[in-house]
Amino acid sequence: MSTFVQLVLRSLETGSIYSLAALGIIIIYRTSNITHFAQGAMGMFNTFVVTFLFTTAGMPLWLAIIGGMVSALITGFTVDFVIIRHTKKVSPVAKQIITLGLIMIFVGVTPFLFGVDPLNLPQLIPTGSLPVAGASISFNGILNIGFGLSVMAVLFYVLQRTKWGLAIRTTASNEFTARLMGVPTKTVTMVAWAVAAVLGVLAGVMTAPFTSVTLNLMDGVQLNALIACVLGGFQTFYGPVLGAYIIGIAKNLLVYYVSSVWGEQLLYLGILIFIVFRPYGLIGKKIVKKV
Amino acid sequence: MSNLDLQEGLVLRLEELSISFGGLKAVDNLSFEIKEKEIFGLIGPNGAGKTTAFNCITQFYRPNHGKIFFRDKHGKVSNLIDHPVHEIIKLGLVRTFQNVELIRELSILDNVLIGAHIDFKSSLLAQALKTKKAKDEETKLRDEAIEVLTFLGIADRMLLPAGGQPYGILKKVELARTLMCHPKLIILDEPAAGLNDIETVNLAKVIRTIRDKYGCAVLLVEHDMRLVMDVCDKICAINFGKFLAVGSPKEIQRNKDVQAAYLGETEEDQ
Amino acid sequence: MKLKRPSFIVKKNAHLNYVLFGVALCLVPLLIELGLLRNSYLTLVGSVIIYSVAAIGLNLLLGWSGLISLGTAGFMGLAAYISAYATVNLKLPFEIAVLLALSIPLAVGILVGLVSLKIEGLYLAIATLSVSEILRKSFEEFGDITNGFSGKTASYPKLLGFFQLDKYGTYILLVVVLVGVMILIHNMINGQMGRALNAMRGSEAAAQAMGVHLLKYRLVAFALATSLAALSGILYIHFIKYTYPPTWTLGMSLNILSAIIIGGVRNIYGTILGVFVVFAVPDLFLKQIPYFGAMPGFAYIVNGILIIVVIMYYPYGLIYLGNDMKKLWGKVKAKVKP
Repeated sequence: MSTFVQLVLRSLETGSIYSLAALGIIIIYRTSNITHFAQGAMGMFNTFVVTFLFTTAGMPLWLAIIGGMVSALITGFTVDFVIIRHTKKVSPVAKQIITLGLIMIFVGVTPFLFGVDPLNLPQLIPTGSLPVAGASISFNGILNIGFGLSVMAVLFYVLQRTKWGLAIRTTASNEFTARLMGVPTKTVTMVAWAVAAVLGVLAGVMTAPFTSVTLNLMDGVQLNALIACVLGGFQTFYGPVLGAYIIGIAKNLLVYYVSSVWGEQLLYLGILIFIVFRPYGLIGKKIVKKV
Repeated sequence: MSNLDLQEGLVLRLEELSISFGGLKAVDNLSFEIKEKEIFGLIGPNGAGKTTAFNCITQFYRPNHGKIFFRDKHGKVSNLIDHPVHEIIKLGLVRTFQNVELIRELSILDNVLIGAHIDFKSSLLAQALKTKKAKDEETKLRDEAIEVLTFLGIADRMLLPAGGQPYGILKKVELARTLMCHPKLIILDEPAAGLNDIETVNLAKVIRTIRDKYGCAVLLVEHDMRLVMDVCDKICAINFGKFLAVGSPKEIQRNKDVQAAYLGETEEDQ
Repeated sequence: MKLKRPSFIVKKNAHLNYVLFGVALCLVPLLIELGLLRNSYLTLVGSVIIYSVAAIGLNLLLGWSGLISLGTAGFMGLAAYISAYATVNLKLPFEIAVLLALSIPLAVGILVGLVSLKIEGLYLAIATLSVSEILRKSFEEFGDITNGFSGKTASYPKLLGFFQLDKYGTYILLVVVLVGVMILIHNMINGQMGRALNAMRGSEAAAQAMGVHLLKYRLVAFALATSLAALSGILYIHFIKYTYPPTWTLGMSLNILSAIIIGGVRNIYGTILGVFVVFAVPDLFLKQIPYFGAMPGFAYIVNGILIIVVIMYYPYGLIYLGNDMKKLWGKVKAKVKP
């Protein structure tokens, strides 16, 4: 039983990481109508910035993280300003491919600036754990989960209760009409990209201590975040978050109880079958094209 | 399906056609019949259910209730509901689209050739290897397409891509596409939409010429009253998905229910 | 708007062009023997040919039929491993190995095609990605067949049981296969099937109204794309003669996808141009650029920028750059001569 609880606790942490990344993807999807394949790569790049600030510049970790967030804001703004703004006439498939190009740019620039060696980023709270129901969870884990949940709470509050959030939701629903109604959609898009980048670096900073800071740092997170959006449906903001936690838990349970080798693949297979029967996700709705 | 279900001389008969979306009945017990070679108009105010009705006929929607009898190219009578949407054209029933659904990157000629899709009998392998049979078939159908385009007066543009052509030309291309299958019944979806007065008059002429030359019936789903009154032999008016009246253009014009549906109850004040 | 050349006038020439193109490619071994090209060029051009076969298949699927697949690498790898195992372990003749290596991936590809009718766009992309990842994991785990991370080797093909090809012979085989594929696909695309696929992509409603059976043509598209990916995998293993699981990752699928976007969707020569840019230009040119060339990741950055620039300004691919150049030249000439 305690192993099960341990797995669930670990999954909550993994789920938090996935949900931050998934939120980034869904925010971009709903405001710019682009599936952001490069969310992971941008997060990886900015995590390298954090590591650089921490190790080479010698900043305290918390300051380095803030530095990374600033870098993320700049990265997000720049991508929107230089590229996304000019893609009005591009087809949806092509927009997706632009993000593939972005992956290549970020994966190329990173070793350019930071070298090829894997680096290390420690946790914010390196030691200590809390016993829970026969298992235990590290303080850092609690921090990650708590932080993740707070970020999401803040985002949802802003989305649902503020004028800015309304602007975002309006743009997400129909960008053209929103513009006609006077919603500053250009700013909304820019903010969306910046916020997504920040969510990406936060996910990266949480992931980094478990492995090392390399080019592939966010590959797994990116894939799982995408699948979380697929599972939760692209129609809502909270669907992918739900999907992220489900995937986090399902993955860990499958890997431990069923097969450590094929666990992840079984999860993908399961999702595949799920997509066939419910193509629009757990919470999605089908949009009928009128002929 | 026996010939008793569809009288001689009729090409299409709707029997109690109904379809609901959610709780809303979009088409409610609609019945009418179209004679061979008749130009038949289906009119009604916005939201009356015209487009839904004919999406049901062409099997883009599956009706909840009712039958649709059709006499196909070979004289056989069947219920259209028994056929999947992509088989409808094989029977000789073909439609146009209000939003002109053409393939932008293909040439006008190629777009028209899509209308002959069902006439291609050679296998994929034969096409890949360009056997004589495949080549001859392609040439024959190409020539037919050029003939149709010439008949509609747009053969000079046939090699240009469809994307970027003026709206009036695109509507003619769609029309050409429907003629490739030697139809028994052509359903036109708001063909006058976006056309000016002169173009509309020309359209009436074209519709009549097509009926005369190809010997097919035409079902016109339309808003533009002048076109409908001008070109239709018979008109059926519907509102709220329900049958209102059927008759000659004059009879429909004089029908009180039809007037009320279009102009509102205040008409009675006049 | 790109004007498609009148196909029924140029068709004969088009076939001839493909053959001439193939002949030109066959000159590479000659130039190497004459000392005019380095030896490494054989592998370089050979790789371009190999990836072009898979890329043409993906172009058929994405460019002409509008269906996305991120599973190309998985199918290539599957065919590669099957052909290697069949020729090396089972000691089957090359032709039988080819048959096996084509039919098994084809069966999987058709299954994916069946599934594709219910899901579209991103969901289809994720589904095909999952299939590819499951395949790659299989390459790692089924060591009896694949040798896992140690890698699997194969050798140059032996045709009809006795004609053993060498390095140049296999290369010529590659060229012959590519030209064959180009001609067959050209014929199919310019006929009824091509129009049906285009219709399916452009307007499903119109396609159905005109009698195009969507499920059938989706299956056809997937079957062809998978077969070409498999063919490409077979050529790979018998030319490069070695593979191991990390070859067949999402990265390769994405590179092939980038190739058709950069070079030209719905264009056969464009596909090859794109493959050249993505797979050959980094080694040929970018690495030679002083300072930048030595930097890791430089080729990647350039490719990434290229993809974005092409999509934003040349959505139909770089192959049409030639048209614009001609137009520009025409304008310049008009200005010079009154």
